[in-house]
Amino acid sequence: MSPAGPDLRVRLGALELEHPVLNASGTFDVAEIRQRFGEAALEPFPFAAYVPKTVTLEPRDGNPPPRVTETASGMINAVGLANKGVDAFLEIWPIQAAVGVPVIVNVGGRSTEDYVEVVRRIEDDQRLRRGEVPAVAGYELNVSCPNVATGLAVGTDAAETGRLTALIRAQTDRLVIVKLTPNVTDITDTARSAEAAGADVLSLVNTFKALVLEGSTLRPFLGNQTGGLCGPAIKPIALRMVWELATVVRVPIIGMGGIVSGLDALEFIACGATAVAVGAANFLGIEAPRRIVGELRDELAQRGIAQLADVRGRALERSPATGSDNAAGPSRD
Amino acid sequence: MVSEASHDHKSPPAVSDPCRVTGVRRFGRYVLIALSAPRIARRALPGQFVMVGVPSPGFHLRRPISVHSVSGETIRLLIEPLGVGSGALCEVTVADQLEVAGPLGSGFPIDPDFPAFVLGGGIGVAPLQYLADRLLAAHASVTVAFGFRDAQQARLVSAFDIDQLWVATDDGSVGRRGTVVDLAGELRIGPETVVYACGPWPMLSAVRRWAGERGLRGYVSLEAHMACGSGACQGCVVATDSGYRRVCVDGPVFDMTSVEALA
Repeated sequence: MSPAGPDLRVRLGALELEHPVLNASGTFDVAEIRQRFGEAALEPFPFAAYVPKTVTLEPRDGNPPPRVTETASGMINAVGLANKGVDAFLEIWPIQAAVGVPVIVNVGGRSTEDYVEVVRRIEDDQRLRRGEVPAVAGYELNVSCPNVATGLAVGTDAAETGRLTALIRAQTDRLVIVKLTPNVTDITDTARSAEAAGADVLSLVNTFKALVLEGSTLRPFLGNQTGGLCGPAIKPIALRMVWELATVVRVPIIGMGGIVSGLDALEFIACGATAVAVGAANFLGIEAPRRIVGELRDELAQRGIAQLADVRGRALERSPATGSDNAAGPSRD
Repeated sequence: MVSEASHDHKSPPAVSDPCRVTGVRRFGRYVLIALSAPRIARRALPGQFVMVGVPSPGFHLRRPISVHSVSGETIRLLIEPLGVGSGALCEVTVADQLEVAGPLGSGFPIDPDFPAFVLGGGIGVAPLQYLADRLLAAHASVTVAFGFRDAQQARLVSAFDIDQLWVATDDGSVGRRGTVVDLAGELRIGPETVVYACGPWPMLSAVRRWAGERGLRGYVSLEAHMACGSGACQGCVVATDSGYRRVCVDGPVFDMTSVEALA
């Protein structure tokens, strides 16, 4: 091991990152942190790449309140993609992107055409084309948005996921990440479809559709009725999905779902993820992401692991004792 | 008059500090926690809040708690044990350490040229000691009235050091029988008065109606479930006449006529 400690560098397509930890879209906002806590709170920038909140074609007010609450070992949210739309997004882009790490634009839409138009407007932006503002490193497609035509999320249908991915692929040479929804029967179907259509990277999981009741009235608590569950409660399911996918696709995986410690991050990498994203843990305080990266470094150092590649996929190696007929995978009890 | 949230761009930024508990006082089920928080104490304005780490194992979002009062390097938080987070916070003892980020949100605008009428209900009284302190320090004329359900809840009064504190309880066990708005009707409140209110939604609606009938302007401090407490997650919005606004950074103090749920 080098005296500088373990080598945490990873590669996502053409992107070379200093370490494997990104933020999950919608959980970390540089403009807000700067305004609240000052520039110093972002130095050094805690994430290896920054993913701002989902941007849509038109401004969206979002869902009626209440929108969030804590649940057992996690939280539920139904914000409804509140954002000011792609044109306003491009106006504040120089502020958003001034973070010293690659910035990946998370895109949502109510129809396939919406996604395509958002990406087209970004690709056509004159300031970006002339290099007057920081570059867009890539796109992450939030395929969990309900489609106005069908009422279903694009990401719940493998063919639709592939069709959308191909349309975006045709719009850009930049990195294309498809963020998979776990609310499907078999996540390998949508994953394969996205990969075949040209996705460079897959990220998973988005939140699990869930319901919380208000105790006194016994009615749904959230204004949107249902919401998305995240936090440590979902980590074992997210791990299983990354673990299942890692042997099925060749593109790199960004693993996420309940990461609150360096060990959590390492577990996703052991399940085959190349990088990880921190979501709900960002709400534990502005120190949380830096702590998680530090803990990951310490975990590797303590285990004498010189580089992340040496541990990636370790959980995929089945021990003889657990046998290959065990379709559900090795037991960890 | 100072415009809403105008300090936001001028005041020193919020900080995130481990803070030692220096005092714990209990009033029935309510707890007043004193924290050594020099950097937050220097920055906090009345009506602002802090996000406090829950001192309990497992995943817990930080809890938004309004600043009850500030003196020297100490901030105080007045807490009612209502759930997992506030329950754990009410168990702290002296010398414990809490993770505290703040101050956050907009404060109450203070204008000493007009008399102030401060109304609180239930645990919503929490931020009003600091507001009264600052209004009095600015030589404003201040009237304070609190409303509680019953004698048990009225024990909150012991957490306050305010001369001439008017109290009402729903059951009449302490002070006047009735609501804080019933009480307001019996006090001498001039037409120039600025109203400040914090409490449960039905109370804030009643205060808005009462103030509206008299042509009084005023401010309410709202409560909401929050995740980040600092503007990122958009989780804590309230419907206003200018669309959804975030309670954590656009509030918690709002012009009372702007909040649609109070109409």
